[in-house]
Amino acid sequence: METLLDVKNLTRRFGGLTAVSDVSFSVAKGEIFGIIGPNGAGKTTLFNVIAGHFKPSSGSVHLAGQDISGHASDAIARRGMARTFQSVHVFSEHSTQENLRRAHVIGRSHNPLAYFARLARPCFGCTQLPLVAQFVGLTDHLQSPAGSLAYGLQKVLGIGMAMMVSPQLLLMDEPAAGLNPSEKKAAGVLIRRLRDELGITILLVEHDMPLVMGVCDRILVINRGKPIALGTPGEVKSDKSVIEAYLGEDYEFA
Amino acid sequence: MKPLHIFLAIVLLALVPWLLDSQYVFHIATMIAIMVPMALGMNLMLRIGQLTMAMPAFMGIGAYGSALLAIRLEVPPLLALPAGALMAGVLAAAVGPVFLRIKGVYFVLLTYAFGQIINLVFQEWTGLFGGNNGLYGIPKFSLFGLRLTATPQYYLMGLLLAALVYLAVRAIERSDIGAIFQSLNENEMLSRAIGSNAMAWRIAAFTFSALAAGLSGGLYAFYIGFLSPDAFGFRLSVDLIVINAVGGVHSALGPVLGAILMVPLPEMLRDARQYQLLIYGLSLMVFLIFIRKGLASLIQRPRSAA
Repeated sequence: METLLDVKNLTRRFGGLTAVSDVSFSVAKGEIFGIIGPNGAGKTTLFNVIAGHFKPSSGSVHLAGQDISGHASDAIARRGMARTFQSVHVFSEHSTQENLRRAHVIGRSHNPLAYFARLARPCFGCTQLPLVAQFVGLTDHLQSPAGSLAYGLQKVLGIGMAMMVSPQLLLMDEPAAGLNPSEKKAAGVLIRRLRDELGITILLVEHDMPLVMGVCDRILVINRGKPIALGTPGEVKSDKSVIEAYLGEDYEFA
Repeated sequence: MKPLHIFLAIVLLALVPWLLDSQYVFHIATMIAIMVPMALGMNLMLRIGQLTMAMPAFMGIGAYGSALLAIRLEVPPLLALPAGALMAGVLAAAVGPVFLRIKGVYFVLLTYAFGQIINLVFQEWTGLFGGNNGLYGIPKFSLFGLRLTATPQYYLMGLLLAALVYLAVRAIERSDIGAIFQSLNENEMLSRAIGSNAMAWRIAAFTFSALAAGLSGGLYAFYIGFLSPDAFGFRLSVDLIVINAVGGVHSALGPVLGAILMVPLPEMLRDARQYQLLIYGLSLMVFLIFIRKGLASLIQRPRSAA
């Protein structure tokens, strides 16, 4: 299978603390790949290094064969890797429709030159907006201010905004965080549809075990910054070192 | 008020100097018109959330640049003015990538230091800039062989430049560039996550602000006919901030209204000289506490978010 994201020997140190230590994995095109680990395992740091918020101390990240290690987050996004946030990030004073439109405008007109080049072909992407809204289920909320949407819907809007820039790879930072059980279920279905219907490859970092086990093709487990297991949900669940890492924590492997 | 009414009111205000037909009023009105492009440039920077103290430096570069082109190289003022502004713009585009990495109070300090350094160059490089004795002998503007010497003629030019820069900022604010700037200011992390090259946009805004300040400076040079470094000091930055705060930052109309109100204020308070700063300060406090969104918010209905 074709590799889309290739992480090699990635290490990130903060002073004397090694938050991510020598992590390697690769995500195949069309895969839903999960990263889990107990609290403080370094999941978020790993995510942030891949997304370009932190520079790696050593190691590399390749997207579709191109080296993106240490590139700025916006440069990475322009290469086709969009992300969603753990907490809600929307332009809250503007309508849902305007949020989706802006995502498109910002993504396509990433600098002044691109903006003026785009003026020649106006409304490029206009047709996409209603389709994205329908796909994520926000059609009925297009006119509402994004800040007034329920928390779950704001997270869905975040996914919609990422979709407006047509990513190859979507990085999701705890898509289930803050959602109620039925919303979590819907998030799982949406993640699967992103892959099945649109072919978007997904890398997600998550706490919620039922979601991870339910949607991921493969899972990487990290503990104290180091990878301890990699495999299908079934393999990971029965892995001795994984069980040990989670021992004493209130996790339920669904 | 409807947009048409606001427009008519400003046109009427712009005509006031001719109605009163006083040299003095024309002078004040010209100074307002000169201040407007710069205040609009500052406005754009405030929209991207970066308070710049470099405006006086760019105004000075526009002023000295176009004056020296006219004096030394005998470039016609009509060309020297935009060329001076261009120098300011080019310098901004050159230092922007370094300056704009820095945010918040550090950006304020950095641009302040930059302004002081540029001012020091004006003061100390006496051979070129005339130092604290000033730069004399700036030729008057001439259009089609007609030498412009009267204040009303400069006022008219000022109105033209002010209108030009106002229309440009309004076009920016209403286009998607406005949305891009606003998004960067509201949530930079989100904007960058969907691919916005924040740095490129910031450099564009910074360059625009310098161009606007350069235009103000060029016109100032040809109007006053004499330049001295103290016209481009730190105080001018404060005035620009006050103009934007009083007029309102969220609309291109704000800095225009702010300039109309704040530029003549020291003149109006001239009779109460020892209380001038006190009255200025108190009225500023009243504004900031009670009309926080500025004058523009009082007469403009908020436009819908979409």
